Amino acid sequence: MFHRILIANRGEIALRIIRAARELGIETVAVHSTADANSLHVRFADQSFCIGPPPSKESYLNIPALLSAAEVSGADAIHPGYGFLSENAEFAEMVMHSGLGWIGPRPEMIRMMGNKIRAKEAMKEAGLPQLPGSEGVVQDERELGRLAASVGFPVILKAAAGGGGRGMKIVREKEQLGQMYRTASAESLAAFGNGDMYVERYVERPRHIEIQIVADEHGNVVHFGERECSVQRRHQKMLEESPSPALNDKLRERMGRVAVEAMRKVRYNNVGTIEFLLDERGDFYFMEMNTRIQVEHPVTESVTGIDLLKEQIRLAAGEELGRTQKSIVIKGHAIECRINAEDPMSFAPSPGLITAYHAPGGLGVRIDSAAYEQYRVLPFYDSMVAKLIVMADSRPAAIMRMRRALEEYIVEGIKTNIPFHKKLLMYEPFVQGRYDTRLVEKLLAESVAENS
Amino acid sequence: MDVDKLKAILAALEGTDVTRITWSEGTETIDLRLGHPPSPAMQAVPVATAPVTMAAPMTSATPPSVAPVPAAAPPPAGPAAGNKTFTVNSPFVGTFYRSASPDSPSFVDVGQVVKKGQVLCIVEAMKLMNEIEAEQPGRLVEVLIQNGSPVEYGEVLFRFELV
Repeated sequence: MFHRILIANRGEIALRIIRAARELGIETVAVHSTADANSLHVRFADQSFCIGPPPSKESYLNIPALLSAAEVSGADAIHPGYGFLSENAEFAEMVMHSGLGWIGPRPEMIRMMGNKIRAKEAMKEAGLPQLPGSEGVVQDERELGRLAASVGFPVILKAAAGGGGRGMKIVREKEQLGQMYRTASAESLAAFGNGDMYVERYVERPRHIEIQIVADEHGNVVHFGERECSVQRRHQKMLEESPSPALNDKLRERMGRVAVEAMRKVRYNNVGTIEFLLDERGDFYFMEMNTRIQVEHPVTESVTGIDLLKEQIRLAAGEELGRTQKSIVIKGHAIECRINAEDPMSFAPSPGLITAYHAPGGLGVRIDSAAYEQYRVLPFYDSMVAKLIVMADSRPAAIMRMRRALEEYIVEGIKTNIPFHKKLLMYEPFVQGRYDTRLVEKLLAESVAENS
Repeated sequence: MDVDKLKAILAALEGTDVTRITWSEGTETIDLRLGHPPSPAMQAVPVATAPVTMAAPMTSATPPSVAPVPAAAPPPAGPAAGNKTFTVNSPFVGTFYRSASPDSPSFVDVGQVVKKGQVLCIVEAMKLMNEIEAEQPGRLVEVLIQNGSPVEYGEVLFRFELV
């Protein structure tokens, strides 16, 4: 087991890692920028080192400074947390070449999943379902007709040179296909100088479901169930829950099984998350994989009762998993709200001094945060102030508990998205559990309509 | 507010220790900060420096090389003895050495006057011996770090007196 871990991160996740290490009897070394000298992770670690000025590039992303701090502190492993250098294969390699333990998957895993195209190819080979469509550019209308028929309507035509929503056309019926293809191709040629098109199955109501993977260094792999992450705004997750209201036991078992089989095939190690797109028919497709601990890991901890950070550290040190899939039991329901320093309607960042702070408590409430009264939310880093997690016997009870906890949460001096979360927890499609990745967009549009 | 009134306020403050005054009249507010630098004791911890890029990985097979590095920009004097002192801060995290090798004499001793550009110490980071140079001349008053100890980015290494 490791003796002393250096944490190459800041904020709540640095604190989270310190807590896990403490419970494992491992010493901790915090690093910080000059702006973070008064942070809780600095305060609670056994040692701390200032490694640079506020900009991340010169501190938390400063590889020589991090390795130097590891050396002078006598650390024998580095935990990268999430963000920053957590999915940087070169950093992982340098850590390992320096004779230190790397608390994460092997660099080759990080590299494979870091490249979207390579990841898709590798996962297809490993047996994960892919969104049906053309493998490359559609050659002509005849080929398109054949592909669309096999993919099934509706389909989406995408300009090869397009992006950001431009050059896309949704085709709902076979009869429209030829006409829309000619129009889209001509438009694409005019706009991008290239008329090449792809075709894919169009998912009307996509849900973002991810499977938590836990693997040791000896080939043992299990999954810890799923997290529902469809509550997003511009691909930023705002709320996560487990289990997903869209999954039944059969589907969960199937998603988990194929995920674990794929991970066994590529010999994945440590923790990771496979993101799937789930369609309205219950079919799911591989999107990408995150090769690190995730922000939303506490919802999984809440329903499994297992400390994922302790598990991650233990497995990185080479210990055996010692768990069977059967022993992982999902119990109750958990919801996490990301509390950000931002305007609740415009989502503009709102850094500044927290002048008053009161965190909710009581049965089934957990706060993962590095905030306190007189803490300054800095403009240099991300805007997440806290994660509020609730746990209850059922989804309705968890919703009631989250509403209650949000009412108790007081943060003054900065704006937060707590008012947005309160609205969301009252929003009927959310309460019903019938939602997809467009939920936030819909809620915001309805709020605007109400106010005008 | 008219210019004459502003001039009158400024004239009234001439020769006083006032560094800041806020004046409200009706809907107008004027916030004046005068040119005197704030007293050193009131200043926040100085953290100015240019970060130094170090490229050698820890496993580098090449022998430790020596690279001259300018010291962290000297911050304003601390509230120590005398009123004309400045500090030299570590430009990065590493290990502090007062001499080139365990057997050689210290680069600089208390009481000694150093020239600009003179080597003061070594901060070892990533197996690289980085020489820290004086950015301005001065007489060494105090060495704050013990030889061979770890230092942080921005940590005060020496206190000098202006000469």
